[in-house]
Amino acid sequence: MAVEVILPRVDMDMETGKINHWFVAEGEAVVKGMPLFEIETDKAAMEIEAPADGILRGVSVKIGETLPVGAVVGWICARDEIFEAPVPGAVAEKPPAPPQAAPEALQSSGAGANGDLRATPKARRWAREQAIDLSSISGTGPDGRIQAKDVAPNRAGLTSPPPPRGALHGEWLARGAGTPIVFVHGFGADLNGWRPLHGYLSAGRGHFALDLPGHGQSDLMGPATLEAFVESVEATLVAEGVTSAHIVGHSLGGAVAAAYAAARPVRVRSLTLLAPAGLGPEFNGAFATGFLAAQGDASLAAWLRQLAVDEAALGAAMVKATLARRAERPHVEAQTKIAASLFPDGAQAFSVRTQLASYGGPLRVVFGLEDRILPAAQTRGLPGAVALHLLPNIGHMPHFEARAVTAEIIEDNVAAGDRRAAARSG
Amino acid sequence: MSAIVRELSYAQAIQEALAIAMEDDERVFLMGEDIGVYGGAFQVTGDLVHRFGEDRVMDTPISELGGAGVAVGAALTGMRPVFELQFSDFSTLAMEQIVNQAAKLRFMLGGSVSVPLVIRMPTGSGTGAAAQHSQSLEAWFAHIPGLKVIEPTTPYDAKGMLLAAIADPDPVIMFEHKLLYKSKGPVPAGRYAVSLDKAQVRREGRDVTIVASGIMCSRALDAAATLAEEGVEAEVIDPRSLRPLDMATIVQSVKKTSRLLCVYEGVKTLGIGAEISAAIAESEAFAYLDAPILRLGGAESPIPYSPILEKAAVPQTPDIVAAARRLARGQV
Amino acid sequence: MSAAAAKSETVQPSNRPPIYERLNAAQLREALHKMLLIRRFEEAAEDSYVRGQSYGTMHLSIGQEAVAVGVCTWLSDSDYITSTHRGHGHCIAKGAKVDRMFAEFLGRETGYCRGRGGSMHIADPATGNLGANGIVGGGIPIAVGAALSAKKLKTGAVVVSFFGDGANNEGAFHESLNIAAVWKLPVVFVCENNGYGMSVSTKRSTAVDSVAVRAPAYAMPGVSVDGNHFAAVAEASFEATERARRGGGPTLIECVTYRTRGHSRSDRNRYRTPEEIETWKARDPIPAFERELEAFGFLSRVEIEKVRAGVDEEIKQALAFAEASPVPSAADLLRDVYTV
Repeated sequence: MAVEVILPRVDMDMETGKINHWFVAEGEAVVKGMPLFEIETDKAAMEIEAPADGILRGVSVKIGETLPVGAVVGWICARDEIFEAPVPGAVAEKPPAPPQAAPEALQSSGAGANGDLRATPKARRWAREQAIDLSSISGTGPDGRIQAKDVAPNRAGLTSPPPPRGALHGEWLARGAGTPIVFVHGFGADLNGWRPLHGYLSAGRGHFALDLPGHGQSDLMGPATLEAFVESVEATLVAEGVTSAHIVGHSLGGAVAAAYAAARPVRVRSLTLLAPAGLGPEFNGAFATGFLAAQGDASLAAWLRQLAVDEAALGAAMVKATLARRAERPHVEAQTKIAASLFPDGAQAFSVRTQLASYGGPLRVVFGLEDRILPAAQTRGLPGAVALHLLPNIGHMPHFEARAVTAEIIEDNVAAGDRRAAARSG
Repeated sequence: MSAIVRELSYAQAIQEALAIAMEDDERVFLMGEDIGVYGGAFQVTGDLVHRFGEDRVMDTPISELGGAGVAVGAALTGMRPVFELQFSDFSTLAMEQIVNQAAKLRFMLGGSVSVPLVIRMPTGSGTGAAAQHSQSLEAWFAHIPGLKVIEPTTPYDAKGMLLAAIADPDPVIMFEHKLLYKSKGPVPAGRYAVSLDKAQVRREGRDVTIVASGIMCSRALDAAATLAEEGVEAEVIDPRSLRPLDMATIVQSVKKTSRLLCVYEGVKTLGIGAEISAAIAESEAFAYLDAPILRLGGAESPIPYSPILEKAAVPQTPDIVAAARRLARGQV
Repeated sequence: MSAAAAKSETVQPSNRPPIYERLNAAQLREALHKMLLIRRFEEAAEDSYVRGQSYGTMHLSIGQEAVAVGVCTWLSDSDYITSTHRGHGHCIAKGAKVDRMFAEFLGRETGYCRGRGGSMHIADPATGNLGANGIVGGGIPIAVGAALSAKKLKTGAVVVSFFGDGANNEGAFHESLNIAAVWKLPVVFVCENNGYGMSVSTKRSTAVDSVAVRAPAYAMPGVSVDGNHFAAVAEASFEATERARRGGGPTLIECVTYRTRGHSRSDRNRYRTPEEIETWKARDPIPAFERELEAFGFLSRVEIEKVRAGVDEEIKQALAFAEASPVPSAADLLRDVYTV
């Protein structure tokens, strides 16, 4: 039986080769293992051995002809075998190519080219969404690049979409499980004032802080009344999907919190008030006036120092931050309105004592005995169920001046609120 | 159910994880240089050898390649070894077994085996150990399919991620920044696991996203405190896992802030932040970017000895503040 | 057969190697079957390679069959081996089926590695084969690790690490032997010394005359045997395996053998002479084994021919199975990169 002689693959990547030279002629005898022909590949020439004993017949290829790997180049027949050149076609079939997975469709690039226009992706998107022609906008970024704020200068808080109607600006200082704590700041401050205290509270629970109207990144949209503020708080919590919360309020924010809690007692699991306003008429009106009137950093800083017994407790950071934020969004007009409405003629024109009495949930009040803005004496006569913590040597800012103690009081009250709610539903 | 929470150091948290794993599963054992009575080069294994014996806490000869291969072989045949390399720089001696064997055996064998191996190594600079004992090679390993790569930054995560890594059927490489070993944090007693594929938002903010790995995470948090004084609220993300990277969390953050700064200790070029930047540019967050993506990474040099140079070679807190500030103010 | 073949010893009943007392006819027939299966398999694999049917490269162990089969005689499925890039023979000797091996070389889903590994990474964990390895010396520390497991889990298993003469100069070899000795692990190190790494001879690359000489440096017994003589290999590996099972620690066995083919198919054999190749071809381990089996009355010539015919049929069917097997889908590329 004739044995086929093939052009072998000798290198991993070899697909074709050529025969340079035959060592044996057609019709001559060969011995298995002797050199039969020399092939040439990309790498170097190589001798190929005869695969069997016999006579070489049927050499069908030319010297130097390029052949695919596996091609039959001849036959070795037995001595007495009658040889007929078989039908060519002994080229080894390549295994079926595996099915190709279709390549993923390339993402189409964004809106059409704008020529030489430099604009950030966000600016382009806002322009697209609002059907604004980018070429009509001049950019304030490096090299005249158009940034998002150039496209929509009226959008509050530059980096975020405007809050839903009526809702205030707020931020989650932390996300977590369970009933969140909502923080309401005081007059002239903003939500960032809660950050130092936030670090002292245990992790795991959500903390949401909001900016009162006319403060931080919230504009004064409606009247400057406690009722309007309470409605704004409600709208904000609804917008955030908060159906039940522990509320912590400071100063004016404490009064707002108390009013909200009285209006929505089911939603408020506990109420912790730090130096709350609304316990009596006395108020350091000069502070409010001076704070609003201050033009320069130095005078503003002087009024800020009234807030704490030890000014170092406030931290240079807080003072700097307040100054910086005032420089950006003064809110002076709005806050003057609020002062005129709530603290006319240097007195508190509202009271939340009834609200405190009607709330009914776990309620604690924290007051610094050295508070120079609201006198601690106002805490007399609070309902017996209200826990009162009077802190010696502390001013108007217990959440700055006595962080650990304040945090502990809040934690205890929050725990009490959760226990109560569980007992009710259990 | 509430576990008792105590303050432990990062090193103690790791030791606790190793002890719990060995108590729970007799297949778990430790291998490494000087991890026995010496207690480990960074005192992580401590007294574990006295509690579990030399059979469970095995001192190897100085043979990183041999040791790594033995760990691979043991993992292939029913054990769960935790192999400690004394410095991440020495992984270079063991690369053959880590990259060619551990990472690829399951795949090459068509899924008929798994390699449940954990390799732990101290990483990073700041101890004056100079060029051959201070590298951050995380990007090398995160580049290898078949490996999982983690870099916890808190004691809580160190314990939880190590427990999860030991339980994982695939090879996990755990990088521990040397400067973190003494840092302290709350750690619950008992068993818990932290996922090996989720980043953690360490600080929420609106103005700029900072993704910072290893020691850079705490530097980024310090920077965020400083930035807050200027009214810039930074969101700090700790990736925790480098392979796989939790891009979903980062994408969500960049969509919120529109600005991204990546901070990592490995050499800046072709480092972890390079991948994060490119991935963000390819993601849906692209249309939310309002500034170019910035990276702060290690310098294009080996880590020097002299402290001034050593500090200059990797990002420091003021560098992070400056970069984030420029980003937030639209000056980039 | 050339005159050079007369070099082999005359086989007489009085020469019967003592190791045959431990093996019966059935076991010896199986040994012959495996050696022939390896030989025919390698030849068929080579054929499919030169025809361009199988992809990549291939490292054939033609001429080294006695080592693989001699050593694996004493191993069961619960013992382990690690192997080299020249691992087809070890795989078959350890109990793998040639149909799934062919399927692997043709890159099919039915292959031992589902087409993902190919020749250099062929493995069969079910029979204790932790795999051929593309890295010289890559399998040696892994074998030591498997031995550590066996000792810890008290399975009584033994691990054989097959490696070539080239590996004995790799750092991994030295680190592995040291660790195995220090920890007294049940591993047998089997060096197939075929005289050449790729093209560089052991004479030019290795500081000592024989690999076995390195054993005392690692405080373990070392022995050098004729790797083309089944009985010699079987005897040395029996002793080493028993020592390991008894808790006596590791052994280094050097099997002096030869690969009559090049390192791989692209080898131009410039580094050795045709005369050298011819000399070793005359010491082919398979005919030598057949002569012994006949001479010592274990198998008749007829029975031997039956084994040969059976192997030819096995190979034919295995090839058909492989060629009919499905190719993998590119959509499955990422499968098995991870377990979870």
